[in-house]
Amino acid sequence: MTDVTHTTTAETYTIPVGPLHVALEEPMYFKIDVRGETIANVDINAGHVHRGIEYLTTKRTIYQNVILTERICSLCSNSHPETFAMAAEQIAGLEVPERALYLRVIAGEIKRIASNLFNIAILAHLVGYETLFMHVMEVREVAQDIKESVFGNRMDLGAVCIGGVRYDLDDETTAYLSGALDKLVPEIDEIIATYRTNGSILGRTRGIGILKREDALACGVVGPVARASGIDYDVRMVAPYAAYDRLPMVVHTLTDGDVWSRAMIRLAEARTAIELIRACLRDLPGGPTHLHDRPDIPRGQAVAKCEAPRGELIYYLKTNDNPEPERVKWRVPTFMNWDALRYMLADQKIADIAIIVNSIDPCVSCTER
Amino acid sequence: MTRVPEDLESRLAAVAPGGIDYSEAADVHGTKVVWVALADKDALLPVATVLHELGARLSMTCASQPPAPEEEEAEEPAEGEEAKADEGPRASFGGTVLDGTSYELAYHFDLDGDTVTVIAHVSQGGEIDSLTPLFRTADWSEREMMELYALTVRSHPDPRRLFIDPTIDAAVFERLIPFSTLVNAASTKGLWEKILNKKGGAA
Repeated sequence: MTDVTHTTTAETYTIPVGPLHVALEEPMYFKIDVRGETIANVDINAGHVHRGIEYLTTKRTIYQNVILTERICSLCSNSHPETFAMAAEQIAGLEVPERALYLRVIAGEIKRIASNLFNIAILAHLVGYETLFMHVMEVREVAQDIKESVFGNRMDLGAVCIGGVRYDLDDETTAYLSGALDKLVPEIDEIIATYRTNGSILGRTRGIGILKREDALACGVVGPVARASGIDYDVRMVAPYAAYDRLPMVVHTLTDGDVWSRAMIRLAEARTAIELIRACLRDLPGGPTHLHDRPDIPRGQAVAKCEAPRGELIYYLKTNDNPEPERVKWRVPTFMNWDALRYMLADQKIADIAIIVNSIDPCVSCTER
Repeated sequence: MTRVPEDLESRLAAVAPGGIDYSEAADVHGTKVVWVALADKDALLPVATVLHELGARLSMTCASQPPAPEEEEAEEPAEGEEAKADEGPRASFGGTVLDGTSYELAYHFDLDGDTVTVIAHVSQGGEIDSLTPLFRTADWSEREMMELYALTVRSHPDPRRLFIDPTIDAAVFERLIPFSTLVNAASTKGLWEKILNKKGGAA
């Protein structure tokens, strides 16, 4: 009889995870070298949902690109047109009305709540805690209802335009929004308490998939992944845009850099997002929501960035005398965070691959465009 | 609190003997945006070294092919004026001819919220140094530049395709790709013919 223990632990095997895999939400191919059950090395093979959107942007007018960029990704869909619009506004020297700046924050933070809760729910699913998964998804549904009621869509809000926003809040919508936020607060607090204390969650996430601060800096990770490894960087704080400089912004950081820390940062940021929206509703100035003319965007170039739910999203826009941009380039947070998986997965167990991959809240459609 | 040091221009100029074209602006919150065009593309690595020492993070890179000025193309050559021929197509800072084929490479660095964009020009099919010895984050970005354009990144540790399948022709951004081809559905008929051919005959 073959000594199974001996043959499986002494040699290194390569196993494929993905591109289509039950535990991955989107297609990505990981070639993983394992020794026994332990991961020795990881190679990442991307490109399964590459759609050439960057090429397409140069065939659309700058105004059409507001629509196109919103369709790059669903979970952070609002961040794309917002940052693209910020770049175009910089080139044209447009001053966005004050009320629109607050309304942009509201749209962005609602998306953040929904996006972060989605990731937290998937974590529960991967842990095998299905009731918690369904519960978090149910709470997230409140955020989905807000999006559907306020913007008319559950994912692509269509909230941003160059020079302002395309929606407004009246008294009735504001009252509904405040009520929905009031509903969310105790629910999110309860989820935070569960993630802090539940044995199943802690057992599968504490000390798993660690990204040390120095490795996080080397990989240039952004967003909750960076902040969970002790990097105090949030675009809303270091390079404020919209109305963030006037709002009670709090940057949450933790130092352990494990799966659990990344989840807790996302929960804390969902909670902070509610406070930011409340502050916006309280301080919302009057006036127009957008500029009433649609100026040509002159020749120029600009860089704009915002803090999407997954971290820093940066846009580079170069225009010439044509209505179509000469070049549009963007780099999404997940693009930076993939590389960190090599550190997170090193010496971890095969069984934890899906949990660790999910902990960067990966967005493949965003990464590949 | 400002993260771009006061003397950034002189520090960068000191390591780029060919010259730099430096401009700086700040928004209402004081966040700075700096543009640095390099006269010589080989100054990229020394300039990036200065930024690395300042604690910068390579945030994004972007390659593009700036189009040639339209009015010059429209001009008919029969005029035979020396002055016209002397002007030639517009050139970049540093003298790279902008005839629609050369590359403009923009490297966006983050200095704790401020952005420094370093721009280098490379002729078509040319080479540029890899920034991977300084910035791990340059790896994927440079692979992406290489698969989109006929550009070579010198000393890249892993110059494989990043997103685009190796079976697809190189330099996709240098060709016009019909939308139907882009989405792999040239026509219903074409798609079926492709499948049937692969199966080796009619259905």
